[in-house]
Amino acid sequence: MTSQPERAAEPRSGPIRDTQSLVAGLALIALAAFAVWAISNLPQGTLRQMGPAMLPRWLAIGVGLCGLALLISAFTAVGPALERWSLRGPVFVILAIFVFAVTIRPFPIGPLSTPGLGLIAAGPLAIIIGGFATPEARLRDLVILALALTAFCMVLFGDLLNLPIPMFPQALSDLFPQTVSNDNRLRSVAGLMALTALAIFLVTHRSSRPADVAHHTGQV
Amino acid sequence: MGDLFANLGLGFATVLSLSPVDLPGLGPTSLPVNILLCFIGCLVGTLIGVLPGVGPIATIAMLLPITFKFDPTGALIMLAGIYYGAQYGGSTTAILVNIPGEATSVVTTLDGHQMARQGRAGVALGMAAIGSFFAGCVATVLIAALGAPLTRLALIFGPAEYFSLMIMGLVFAVVLARGSILKAVAMILLGILLSTVGTDLETGQERMTFGLQFLSDGIDFAVLAMGLFGIAEILRNLDNVETRDVVKQAIGRLLPSREDLRQSIAPILRGTAIGSILGILPGNGAVLGPFAAYTVEKKLAKDPRRFGRGAIEGVAGPESANNAGAQTSFIPLLTLGIPPNAVMALMVGAMTIHGIIPGPQVMTKNPNLFWGMIASMWVGNLMLLIINLPLVGLWVRLLKVPYRLMFPAILMFCCIGIYSINSLPTDVMFIAFFGLVGYALIKFGFEPAPLLLGFVLGKLMEENLRRALIISRGDMMTFLERGVSAGLLAVALIMLIIALLPTIQKRRDEVFTE
Repeated sequence: MTSQPERAAEPRSGPIRDTQSLVAGLALIALAAFAVWAISNLPQGTLRQMGPAMLPRWLAIGVGLCGLALLISAFTAVGPALERWSLRGPVFVILAIFVFAVTIRPFPIGPLSTPGLGLIAAGPLAIIIGGFATPEARLRDLVILALALTAFCMVLFGDLLNLPIPMFPQALSDLFPQTVSNDNRLRSVAGLMALTALAIFLVTHRSSRPADVAHHTGQV
Repeated sequence: MGDLFANLGLGFATVLSLSPVDLPGLGPTSLPVNILLCFIGCLVGTLIGVLPGVGPIATIAMLLPITFKFDPTGALIMLAGIYYGAQYGGSTTAILVNIPGEATSVVTTLDGHQMARQGRAGVALGMAAIGSFFAGCVATVLIAALGAPLTRLALIFGPAEYFSLMIMGLVFAVVLARGSILKAVAMILLGILLSTVGTDLETGQERMTFGLQFLSDGIDFAVLAMGLFGIAEILRNLDNVETRDVVKQAIGRLLPSREDLRQSIAPILRGTAIGSILGILPGNGAVLGPFAAYTVEKKLAKDPRRFGRGAIEGVAGPESANNAGAQTSFIPLLTLGIPPNAVMALMVGAMTIHGIIPGPQVMTKNPNLFWGMIASMWVGNLMLLIINLPLVGLWVRLLKVPYRLMFPAILMFCCIGIYSINSLPTDVMFIAFFGLVGYALIKFGFEPAPLLLGFVLGKLMEENLRRALIISRGDMMTFLERGVSAGLLAVALIMLIIALLPTIQKRRDEVFTE
């Protein structure tokens, strides 16, 4: 199941009339072979007392047969060519998700561990990195969106819904006087972020499409 | 009949019940929590569902964590509200932007968007809302009426019958899937194969886990759904240059005229009937409802040429069918415990998170939850009618938010959502992985929905298959010797043969490409 098909579109030539089916068929066969290999050390059992490998093996064979049929159909029927693959979108989106995963709480990588920064860092990082998945990205808009939306999420998930999501690093929390409750710390940090977003918006405010940005930051 | 009313009464009492809530500043106050949750669910569901490119599956997966805090009844009422909201939001997008949020609102774009271009967007939205509301009322009563008898039927089902029923459901899913039948079969098999990853419940041996600890419990359903539908959808949308065709014309008045209503009554009735029946079918029958309703209206019309140019019947019929099907597809889930489509599969996930195993025992063990959920469907439909019509202006503004700002927000909500379920960073990484897998599947021309259905039914199927074979001492004939089981398999076989007949196959392509 880890077989990530990375083949690019083959040129349309020769007897192959349906590159999409060809590649899809090959991917299914590879996947089936991989699954059969992965369960090769498990007992199959009998129909009366099925072992853990029996059903997965049948299914893998079924997937493989479908792959074979697709492969054959690639030579007999005309079908759509493989669509163009873009790299920019997947790279930035995947990167954004991984950055979120390793910054939301300490994540051990070998002997080291990433610092657990909480949602206050993970949220904006995910939005800004992910935002660059499209060539139309604009840093200013993304920063405003990141600050405002993270502040909104901190209040929604941390304060209102009390979900166990780390919000900000302990160091930041320690800056507050002892008397301030956790909820109020969260609220003031979120308020500060929202104000920063507003300030950036007002300072860099030019006549080009301002209304839209102001409108959706709170709502999306 | 008396039972029906008593049960519905219990349901409404649950929905309307007051529970004490500790409000900050006010102290404990009695609030009708369930109805508030229903309202919030409908509102938030519509809000996300309106966004182009975000269908009900992604919406529910994304909003799952906001239901965690509440008791199971409240959470499920809210989730159901999110579901109708998302469904309804999809229709709004279809009418105003000509982008179907998901398969079932494809036909609404045909005439709905044309009406919008003629400055009748308001009437189209209003008619969709009225049709949906009517269909919702009928479907609610239908669920309440069929709930009890079907549950009794389910209790006499043994493992062999369950297994055959699920086979039939999967065959239906194959037949009703868009695109190549072969590819749909491959996806379902792959889905079942994925469901076998993890510890084997009977022998305790790990299968295909490669010694990785986070795989020993199997692949998490929410992770798979979020990756395949949330992230992969973003990746797909990023590839297409965005052409959003938001109507520039005025929305116009919302209430249909007497003439519009007169034209729409029959289509609404027919759409409701078609949608309700198709929705009950296991294997995503609800998808077919709007298509079938549209075809019927076109066939019956005096002047079929009006269709595709803004005929109000082309909005009223399919929209009613859509909503009726969306609701009756709860029937297999609530009575038999078998999700008929990917959205219901997500509901199973949500119920399991709240510690409820869907199936016939829900009605007897948790009557409040069962009937409360059914009553909330009707309340939810009423709320949609009230929420949506005055808020159309807001939805139009929301539709103008550019995708370059929308998708990073969706991305972050997906990350937060999946992290909040198990607090595991590896879960977050897995949605990236399944996002890539889903992107590859889409590029290869595979539909991810059958895979998800196969994944959910997979575990149940394996369990029932093994049990049936233990009972029959390894004799496969047990599935044919037992009457009900043989009947279900026969239906499945007949459906498959019919779908493979060349003439039908051609027609099937036409229906889905229309």
